[in-house]
Amino acid sequence: MIRIDHVSKSYDGGATTAVRDLSLQIESGEIFGLLGPNGAGKSTLLNMLAGVLAPSSGTIELDGVDVAADPLAAKRGLCYVSDSPDHLLRLKGHEFLRFIADVYEVPAGVRSARIAELAREYGMEGELDNKIQSYSHGMRQKMMIMGALLPDPPIWILDEPMTGLDPKASWLLKQSMRRHADAGKTVLFSTHVLDVAEKVVDRVGVIAHGELLFVGTVAEMREHFKSNGSLEEMFLELTSENSPFALGEKDGGEPGGVEGDGSSAAPAAPPTSEGPDRSAGAPKPPEVR
Amino acid sequence: MARTAAQAFSWGQFRVMLRVIRKGEQHLDNTGMGIGGDGDARGKGLAAKMGEGMRRVAMAFLFVVLAAGFFMLGLAMGEAGVTPYAALSLSVASLVTLTVLTGLYQAVNILYFVRDLGYYLTLPISATTIMWAKLAHFLALSVLGDLILAPLPLGCLLAWGVAWPAWALVVAAYVLCAVAVNLALVIACVPVMRFSRLAHDKDRFSRVFGAIIVVFALAIGVGSQFALRGNGLASMASGVEGLLSGGVPAVVMGVLCPPTLFMRWVLEGGAAGAAAGLVMSLACVALYGWALSALAGRWYFEGVQALQGAGSKSGRSVEGAELTRVTSARGQVAANLSRDWKTMARVPVFFNQFVLSSLLMPLYFVVIMVASGFMAFSEVEDAGVSLPVLLDLVRGVAATFTLGSIGLVWCAVGVIGFSILLGFSSYTFTMGVSRDGDDFFFLRGLPLDWRAYLVAKFVSPYLLSTVPMLVIIVVALVALGVPAPSGAYLVLVYLGATAALGLLSLGLGAWFPRLNWDNEAQLVKGGGATLMVFAGLVVGVVVMVLPALALLGCGLWAVLDPVAALALALALLVVECAALAGWLLGPCARRLSLLER
Repeated sequence: MIRIDHVSKSYDGGATTAVRDLSLQIESGEIFGLLGPNGAGKSTLLNMLAGVLAPSSGTIELDGVDVAADPLAAKRGLCYVSDSPDHLLRLKGHEFLRFIADVYEVPAGVRSARIAELAREYGMEGELDNKIQSYSHGMRQKMMIMGALLPDPPIWILDEPMTGLDPKASWLLKQSMRRHADAGKTVLFSTHVLDVAEKVVDRVGVIAHGELLFVGTVAEMREHFKSNGSLEEMFLELTSENSPFALGEKDGGEPGGVEGDGSSAAPAAPPTSEGPDRSAGAPKPPEVR
Repeated sequence: MARTAAQAFSWGQFRVMLRVIRKGEQHLDNTGMGIGGDGDARGKGLAAKMGEGMRRVAMAFLFVVLAAGFFMLGLAMGEAGVTPYAALSLSVASLVTLTVLTGLYQAVNILYFVRDLGYYLTLPISATTIMWAKLAHFLALSVLGDLILAPLPLGCLLAWGVAWPAWALVVAAYVLCAVAVNLALVIACVPVMRFSRLAHDKDRFSRVFGAIIVVFALAIGVGSQFALRGNGLASMASGVEGLLSGGVPAVVMGVLCPPTLFMRWVLEGGAAGAAAGLVMSLACVALYGWALSALAGRWYFEGVQALQGAGSKSGRSVEGAELTRVTSARGQVAANLSRDWKTMARVPVFFNQFVLSSLLMPLYFVVIMVASGFMAFSEVEDAGVSLPVLLDLVRGVAATFTLGSIGLVWCAVGVIGFSILLGFSSYTFTMGVSRDGDDFFFLRGLPLDWRAYLVAKFVSPYLLSTVPMLVIIVVALVALGVPAPSGAYLVLVYLGATAALGLLSLGLGAWFPRLNWDNEAQLVKGGGATLMVFAGLVVGVVVMVLPALALLGCGLWAVLDPVAALALALALLVVECAALAGWLLGPCARRLSLLER
C-alpha cells in the first residue's frame, strides 16, 4: 500500500512548486495509473516515492514504512523504473542485472533462473553479454524493466514504462502488472498513453500543476463528465486552460474548488484510514486547498 | 546537376553553421584530451556563469603562463648563442611532433565524434558547407592552441636584439607552419576515418590514442627533466636545425609541414628571400587546402555516415551454468567495487586519466630515478669513484637508519613530502562520486548502502595509486639495505599518508560532487579540472602538516627525541585516517543518501 499524506515539493526556496499538498492512498492489489501533461509533477511525485527526492513537507509510507525515516527499508520494498533508461551504460546486461540482484539481495539460488526467465520473456537472451550502451532505446527500457522486476518487491513504481517498448514487451509488462496486483501487491505507473491507462488501471489519478485533480476509476471519470467519450477527451477537458481547476490555479483561487452538482471531475480526497472511496460515481466534496 | 547545386557552398549557411558549431556543439571526446569546449556542464544562474568565467580566466592564465615560460626559454637559448632560425626550427619541430602524435585524435574528435553531426545531415544545408564549417572550426582551434609555442623563437629574437620586421616574419612563418601541419593532418585523417575499422569503434580508438597521449605526456615530463639541465635545450635546437638542413628528416618534415622547406629563406635570406619564402609557404598552404577540399568533398561525409552505422555486438548468449556463474551473489562492497571498476576501465576518458596515468606514474618515477642516478653516477665516476664503492657507501648510510635514528626521521619527512606531491594525482579520489554523473540518481532509487558505495570508491584508486608505488618503495628499501623495522615503519607512514590523502579527497568529492555533466570529458578537461589537480596539492599539505610538524619537531627544532617524533607522526596519521574514515562513512554517506538533482 502507498500512502501519500499532504506531500509538497518546492524548489528555489519555495519559488517553484512541483507538487502541491498532494494526498493519495493506493491500496495493495491495485494498479494505479497517474496521468498528466508534461511538467505536471508526475515524475517528481514518483521520484519522491522512490526516495530519490525528499518531500518539502508531508509524509510518504510504503507498506507502512516511512520513506523519509527509513529509506533503505522502504526502497527494499519497491522497484522503480525512471523515465530514462540510459543508466550504467558501460555494464553488460548480465552485469547490470547482477548488480541489481546484489543490491536487492536476491537469493543466489533463484537469481539466474529469474534472469533467464525475464530475458526469455523480453527477448533479450542474446543481448545479455552486450553492453547496455550498444542497445537500442527500447532494449535499454526492457533492461531497466527486467532490473526492476528481478527483485520482485511488493511495490512497483514505473515512470512511463511503455515508452520505447515493442508491442510484445508492452503486452508482457501489462500482464506482469496485472499478475503482480492480483497477487495482492501494488503497481503505480505514470503514462501519457491514455489507451494504456484505460485498459490496465484499476484507478486513475490526473495530475496537473502539481495537484491531483481527479482520483477514481475510469467509469467514475465518465460518470463525473457525463461523457461517453474517450479517456483522452476527458483528460484534455480536465487539464485544459478552461478547466475549473486550471482557472482556479491561474487566478490564484482554489484550483480544486468545483462548485455545483459535482458533474465536473471529483477532486482527490485526502487519505483516510479506510482508504480512498472507490464507490463508482460518488462525487466528493470539493477539497479546499 | 541537381546534386551539384544541392552540395554548393553557401557563405550565409557557412556562417550560421560556424556559429552553431562554436557555441553549442557537443563532442563525444572519449579521452578527455581533445581540444574544444565540449559543451559546458549543465548549470544555470549566476554561480554557473561565474564558474564559466572563472574557467575561462584560469585557462587564459594557464596559456599566458606557459607562453611566457616558452618566451623565457627562448630568451635563455638566445643568450646561450642559439640562432633565431634554430629556435624557430625547434618550436616548429615540436609543433609537428605534437600534432602528429596527438592531433589525429583531436581532429577526429572535432570533425567526427560529434553528437550533433547526424542532426546536421537532416538539415537543408549542403554537405560542403557543413564540412567547411567543421574544418574551419577545427583549424581555428588547432592553430590557436599551437600559438603557445610561438614565443620560443620570439624570446630568442629578443636575446639577439633583432628589429621588429623579423618578429613579424617569424610569427608569419610559424602561423603558416601551424596551418600547414594541421591541413596535412586532416588530409591524413579523412581517408583514415573513411576506411579504418579501428576509427569506427570510438571506445577502442579513444583508448589507443588516449594511451599514446598519456605516454607522450609522461615522456615529455621525463624528457624535460634532462632537456632543462645545462645546455640541453641549446643542443636540442642545434640538433633540430641539423635535421632540417637535409636528408630524410627534412623530407618528412617537408611533407608534414611544407613551409619548413622555406623557413631559412624567410629568416636568413634578406628581404627578397623572406618575400619568396613567405610566398612559397603560402602557395604550399593553398595547395594543401585544395587537396583537403578535394579529399574531404569525396570522403568526409562517407566517413561520417560509416561512423553513424558503426558498432558491433558479441551476439553470444549467456545461459545455464555460465549465467549462474556470472550472476553469483556478492556483498554490496564487492558489487559496488565491480561496477565502479568496470565503469572506470571501460570509459576511455576515465581509463586514460585515472587507470593508465596511475599505472604509468611509478614507471615515470623509476625512469627519472634511474636516469638521474645514471647522470649523477657519471659525474661521480669522473671524480674516480666506482659503482660498487658508491653502492657500498649508500648502503652504509642506509644501514644507520635504525628505529630512533635521526636519519630515519629525515627519511620519514621525505616520505611525507613525496605523499604531498601525490596530492597532484588525488583527483582520482576527488572525482570518485562525480564519475557517476546521472547514474548517481539511478543509484539513489536503489536500496544502496552508501557506506559500501564509498568504500568501493576508495578501494579502486587506492590500489591503483598506492600498490605499484609501494612495490617500488619496498624494492628500493631492500636494495639500499635499510633495516627491516625501519623499512616497515616507512612503509606504514607511506600507507597512512596516502590513505589519509585519499580519504580526504574522496570525502571532499562526495561533499561537493559534480554530477551534471553530459559527457565524461567535461569532468577531466578544462580549467576546473586543472584547478582541481592543483587543489589536490593543498589537500595533501592539509593532511600531512601535523605528522610533518611532529617529525620536524625532532629534525629541525630538536624539541622531540627521534623515537617520540617517529611514534607521534605515525600515531597522528592513524588518528587522521580514523577520523577521516568516520567522516566519510558517516556525514558524507548520509549527505549522498539525501542528495537531490
